[in-house]
Amino acid sequence: MTEAELLNRIKNDPNEFAELFKSYYKPIFGYIFRRTGKFDDSADIAADTFLNALEHINSFSYKGISIKVWLYRIATNELYRYFKQKKRRNRLIERIDFENRAMFNNYLYDDKIELEKELQHHDRFITVLGALKTLPIKYMEVISLRYFEGKDNKEIAQILNMNEGTLKSLLSRGLEKLRKKCNQI
Amino acid sequence: MELQNFENNLIKMTKPEVSQLKHQDMLEAAIVKARARSAVSWWWLCIPMYLIAALCMKTFFMPGTTLISNMAELTNKESYSSILLFLFLPIVLMIISAITIRNAYTTSGKAKNVALLQKVWLNVIILIISIIIIIIYSL
Repeated sequence: MTEAELLNRIKNDPNEFAELFKSYYKPIFGYIFRRTGKFDDSADIAADTFLNALEHINSFSYKGISIKVWLYRIATNELYRYFKQKKRRNRLIERIDFENRAMFNNYLYDDKIELEKELQHHDRFITVLGALKTLPIKYMEVISLRYFEGKDNKEIAQILNMNEGTLKSLLSRGLEKLRKKCNQI
Repeated sequence: MELQNFENNLIKMTKPEVSQLKHQDMLEAAIVKARARSAVSWWWLCIPMYLIAALCMKTFFMPGTTLISNMAELTNKESYSSILLFLFLPIVLMIISAITIRNAYTTSGKAKNVALLQKVWLNVIILIISIIIIIIYSL
């Protein structure tokens, strides 16, 4: 099924959103986790991202960007709010109704243990992420998309809705700042 | 050169990968379900609007009558229907609207959010109209 077909199906029946969720939840969650390094916040931001996407799916139309890029854009905006506010979010996961809350919390806990274990295997990444978090958000965004997610410049420019020239300049300045920060550690 | 090396190190550096997320399926079901949809449509709003419009027209075109006296007249003539129209129906509409607003608030979680107001404005109008009808009926 093409993205356009999936989009049409979702617009006709919101329950079809489950397909989109299945395809993109894991990569989007991974992106958010590699930005924050915190499981609880990542789970909440990811839930916010997909709820936001579901609510605005009817206004989404192909204007040169794919659904995947659009989801990354929503997640990036949610992350921007998260880093800007620098306080605990009003957690959607705690407010949303689950058929079996206890089971969901158990699953969430298992995932947290698993991912925190996984994170501990990447010492160098933890150090770089720590340094990256001290930089302004604009550098944080471009560097994580380029070096953590492996996106090319065209895709990053689409996600951040900026031209490639600005992106290249941000990347080069950000990289230099990050190198200096990492050298200090 | 130093920057080039640093960039290469960043590219080669291993990153944490998300292999499996147990909570994914339950969250997916909850989010699709949690999508705030208004249970009250324009059709529902038409019923109290029609009643108010009819009574207002009668008050306007029949000299010497008031909205309250017209409602009282209808109540005397059609006691069961009037209870249904002026009490039962507004209460049901109020409950539906209140639940819808609560659900919308739960999912958006921000009282000052403009998006929340855009979502529930119809429910707020129905709540207000229902309260007005009940007050007039009780007088």
